[in-house]
Amino acid sequence: MVQISLRRVLQEAVAAPYRHLVTRATGAAVRGRIEAVLADADWTITLLDFSGVDCLDLSCADEIVAKLLLAAATRDRVVILAGVREDQRDALEHVLVHHRLAVAASFAGTDAADVIGWTSSDAREAFASLRADGPADAARIAARLDWPHERAEAALEDLGRHRIARATGGVFHPVTLL
Amino acid sequence: MTRVVEVPAHFDDKSFDQFAGWFGAWPPEERVLVDARGCQWASPYGLVGLLTAGQALAEAGKERPLLTVPAADDVRRYWARTGFFIHAAELFELHGKIPRAATGPSDVLLDVTPIRASGDIHDIVGKIQEGAARILTGELGIEAKATMGFAMALSEACQNIVEHAGTSGWVAVQAYTFRRRLGRRVVVIAVSDGGVGFRRSLESTQAKRFGDRWGDATALEAALIQNVSRFRDPGRGQGLAGIKRYLSRWQGKISIRSGTARLAIVPPWDEDVPLVDHLPFFPGAQVQVVIPAQHAES
Repeated sequence: MVQISLRRVLQEAVAAPYRHLVTRATGAAVRGRIEAVLADADWTITLLDFSGVDCLDLSCADEIVAKLLLAAATRDRVVILAGVREDQRDALEHVLVHHRLAVAASFAGTDAADVIGWTSSDAREAFASLRADGPADAARIAARLDWPHERAEAALEDLGRHRIARATGGVFHPVTLL
Repeated sequence: MTRVVEVPAHFDDKSFDQFAGWFGAWPPEERVLVDARGCQWASPYGLVGLLTAGQALAEAGKERPLLTVPAADDVRRYWARTGFFIHAAELFELHGKIPRAATGPSDVLLDVTPIRASGDIHDIVGKIQEGAARILTGELGIEAKATMGFAMALSEACQNIVEHAGTSGWVAVQAYTFRRRLGRRVVVIAVSDGGVGFRRSLESTQAKRFGDRWGDATALEAALIQNVSRFRDPGRGQGLAGIKRYLSRWQGKISIRSGTARLAIVPPWDEDVPLVDHLPFFPGAQVQVVIPAQHAES
């Protein structure tokens, strides 16, 4: 896993002690630096750490998170988020829904994790179950959540499509978050 | 010959059309005298619009316009407090007594500030955070976590200048009581530039789609209602959509004037007309965002 502090990359990219991820130009500069790091790394999972970042606007969320997710999808790689504040979630939700993308995220100051973006509430519940009670196949998720089998299957497929859970022999493992 | 442009006594987004009308065909042939002596009150929209006029005349290669400052002491002091005169002195030949800018607490959340590049927006967002939190949660009854949404809306509104205007512009943010229309405290963001405007910005990608209907009004409709951008990048066009989404939660209002049209998303508390066309021409784009208190003042 490659862990990237967005605060640090931001300050390197703009050569100033800014703590706000705002403007498309800034987002493109930050993404450029991240892509340079990832180009040299043998990685499967990239964790983008929002700790220390204050404001996040839509343009930056789009340039950094959405575009890295779109690039990761073409190479079957995974991007996850950590240290996200509740008030940053809105911007992330907005741009990810716009692109029909979703990402797993953990939140600042809590152990909570969730899926942000274009996904069903069933997929979110299934993700919570995988995290709380361990990897499972559709039958086990159906039993845990008292769902019909097809509903559990659809929710897990949704998570798999977004690379938020990975299936091994029919058993889905959630991505590991910090 | 001099063309006299009167600043309305109550200078805001509504009376701005009257102000724009005094310029006649743009750019005016004659030297312009902007007469603000009779002005009794100006909103942030009025102030940034006034600077835009000065800037647009300079960029059109016209002689430096004259500006006679408001006769009323308190109006002059307020204009000074917003930092207006510092910038106006670079664009206008000022006539009248200019007071020294007062310091200390006020309802001015962000002085009149130039937007030239992306770095200016970082500075603006940094400056506004503390004051915005105090006003939004303390006075407007908006939950604390919405402060970042406000900064996001401000950032996206300012970015329209950097990304689309082709020139620099101005922003100002202020809290005041909207007595005439609402009877509540509001926070107002005003952003203005004298650049290419929405019609020219979108023309190459959108004009064909609208055919004979293409103009300032349809360009505003494409941008504000349909979230269309001139860029082909599918991630573009989210800025105004994000502002609308934020405002819909807090019954806010956005209005954009560009060229000869103005389009607004009108909340239930306002009686504004959503679309007005065939207005007097004014260069660039003028954006106003209004976020009202969630409860009436006691």
